[in-house]
Amino acid sequence: MTTTATAVPAASKGVQRSGRRPGRSHEGASRPGFAWAAPAAVFFGLFAIVPLILVVVLSFATWDGLSDPEFTGLDNWKKLFDDPIMIKSLWLSLLLTFLGVAVQTPLSILLGVWAAGHQRNRAVLSAIYFIPLLLSAAAVSVLWRAVLDPNFGVPAHAKWLFGDGNLFGNQSTAIGVLIFVSTWQFTPLHTLIYQGAARSVPRVLYQAAEIDGAGRYRQFFHITLPQLRNSVVTSMILMVVGGLTTFDTVLILTQGGPGTDTTISAYYMYQKAFKTFDYGTASAIGVMLVLVATVISLVMVRLTGYDKMNSTMEGM
Amino acid sequence: MTRRNRLPRIAVVGGLALTMALSLSACGGDDSASGGDKIHVLVYGDATNKVEKQLVATFNKSSKVKVVLDTIPGADYQAKLQTIINSKQAPDVFFNWGGGSIKPFVDAGLLLPLDDFIAKDPGLKDNFLPSVFNSTVVDGKAYGIPMRGTQPVLMFNNSKVLKENGLTAPKTWDELLNAVKVLKSKGVTPIALGGGDKWPTLMWFEYLFDRVAGPELVQSAVKGDKDVWATDGSRDALNKLKELIDAGAFGTNFDSVKFTDGGSPTLLATGKAAFELMGSWEYSTLQDSQPDFAKSDLDYSAFPSIDGGKGAPTDIVGNTNNFYSVLKKTKHPEEVAEFLKLMYSDQFVKAQLSIGNLPTTTNTEAQLDTAASPDYAHFQYDLVKNAPSFQLSWDQAYPQTAGTALTTAVQQFFNGGIDVDGFIKAMQGLPTS
Repeated sequence: MTTTATAVPAASKGVQRSGRRPGRSHEGASRPGFAWAAPAAVFFGLFAIVPLILVVVLSFATWDGLSDPEFTGLDNWKKLFDDPIMIKSLWLSLLLTFLGVAVQTPLSILLGVWAAGHQRNRAVLSAIYFIPLLLSAAAVSVLWRAVLDPNFGVPAHAKWLFGDGNLFGNQSTAIGVLIFVSTWQFTPLHTLIYQGAARSVPRVLYQAAEIDGAGRYRQFFHITLPQLRNSVVTSMILMVVGGLTTFDTVLILTQGGPGTDTTISAYYMYQKAFKTFDYGTASAIGVMLVLVATVISLVMVRLTGYDKMNSTMEGM
Repeated sequence: MTRRNRLPRIAVVGGLALTMALSLSACGGDDSASGGDKIHVLVYGDATNKVEKQLVATFNKSSKVKVVLDTIPGADYQAKLQTIINSKQAPDVFFNWGGGSIKPFVDAGLLLPLDDFIAKDPGLKDNFLPSVFNSTVVDGKAYGIPMRGTQPVLMFNNSKVLKENGLTAPKTWDELLNAVKVLKSKGVTPIALGGGDKWPTLMWFEYLFDRVAGPELVQSAVKGDKDVWATDGSRDALNKLKELIDAGAFGTNFDSVKFTDGGSPTLLATGKAAFELMGSWEYSTLQDSQPDFAKSDLDYSAFPSIDGGKGAPTDIVGNTNNFYSVLKKTKHPEEVAEFLKLMYSDQFVKAQLSIGNLPTTTNTEAQLDTAASPDYAHFQYDLVKNAPSFQLSWDQAYPQTAGTALTTAVQQFFNGGIDVDGFIKAMQGLPTS
């Protein structure tokens, strides 16, 4: 990613720029020295790479946290692939992720584009709307658990809608609650991304479209949406990684219940590690989650051409 | 910006980052518990800590080796204990629930059998109620000393609702079924159940299995005999329970209700439900959250008897008590033994009673009238003292590794996810060691 200190937009292929910084010369273009990345790299290595390697090692061992780990080769992995709860948990993770993306993306695009406009009271409404973003997921989950209490919460007063209010006692409604709560909390974040992106769409495009007689809908579908493409990918990757690693909402809202009907992989990993003290299996689940998330991210980046980093600036 | 030699800067920046990272990762003192002239006592952090602090202060007055009390607050106790117990940070003495909660530590050879202590001072065994003391015996050796209050599971009821419907606290299973029918027809949820927490649901299994199949079934199951789950006694108990669920005793939305967020006790207090089966802490919980109800309409009784069942109607289930266990590698076994003797002192009993806990020492009885609520203390104490069997909660009797599978099966049986055979299969799949 090239950076530029001047207002002149830089194309991606080594353009000689003014204001050269000292740095390692590389085909004539200057790059900041590695020293600038050292602090971050050291931290990342210590707190992300090293633990990840340890987890991979642990996934080939049994360990209860008391005695020394014993290497058992592929045992944990074999057990996992024969474990119906594990297979189910992966599907549940993917389902929750997919539903999250499907619900949040259209919602946040619409809200983001709206918030990028110039209507009256827009700033105030946006500010109010971003409040959920400021709360921790744990607090939000506790709040909704109380609101959705079948005897003393909203369901008790809206029987025509909720029936007996047994939202956490059926798989479909429990998943519905999880999707609703994470949508309520994270849509503002993605809205923020789209708001910024929608604001940076050049006005001239709209002016030209208006001269050509395009209405608001055509403008939205033929100018705004295509211009938001990169932001859609960014936001979707965030949603997918966030969806696959969802944990706190499940921990507080459903505890993986009823039965194992909302036991997603991340929660299953927690149960294996800190409830049944089977760190080997838990590590294997962790590694599996890393692999799944990586593959999905790579596929998304490839499919969307995001890795080509095409500029969408005017005239480029 | 002027050009300078860049090498030092890389070194400086890199070095700085490294020192920061290292200083961060080297947090936590290494004040190893087994070293020095201190005894570290690790306790679950909650309101009872004030009694523990008093006892430690008493002990330290007359002892050269000082006791230090460390607390771990919240529900993470067991997970955190597991991570430190085999490390340098391990305590000398620690709080636990007896039974399955210490079995892995015994198997790993970390705990000190207390038989030598007891040989020197028989009071360390004789001063406690036997049914309680026995839940800390693993493989024939005693590994713990009772150190808090007993928590039997009781049937709590809203006496106002019962009176309004012409009912009394049920003494038999048939009376309970009848009460369920009457209350249901009046639009009251007969029994409040915090199914979202799962462990309140487990209490129903514990009592049904005790009353119908007798306490021996679960005892041998925990020891590793998986066949007992498929016996007639086990099937009868499950069918009886199914009968109760199908009669609508628990309503339909119990899986969305919790005890821990105050949901099910509030149902009882507001008269939306008539009964709740809960550990003896229900009383203090309601005293906090619904003081008026606790004073006037809260009543309690033993679990009903079941005709033709093998278990005595005086059997109880629940958490027998909490215990102090001792690590093998403690450097001060004699001082630890002295400290443990405080657990049957008059001072200990008085202090526990004053905050609403019910100690399980033989000298408790004489002081029951000083309790926070004497009637309740007497009722509980007699129940525990006269119980032929005090079955430790299944999730404490089984090793930790079984906990999740156990509570999952319990929840699925109640919401119809699995049938009798499914439950039996799940129980047979539980690890027992």
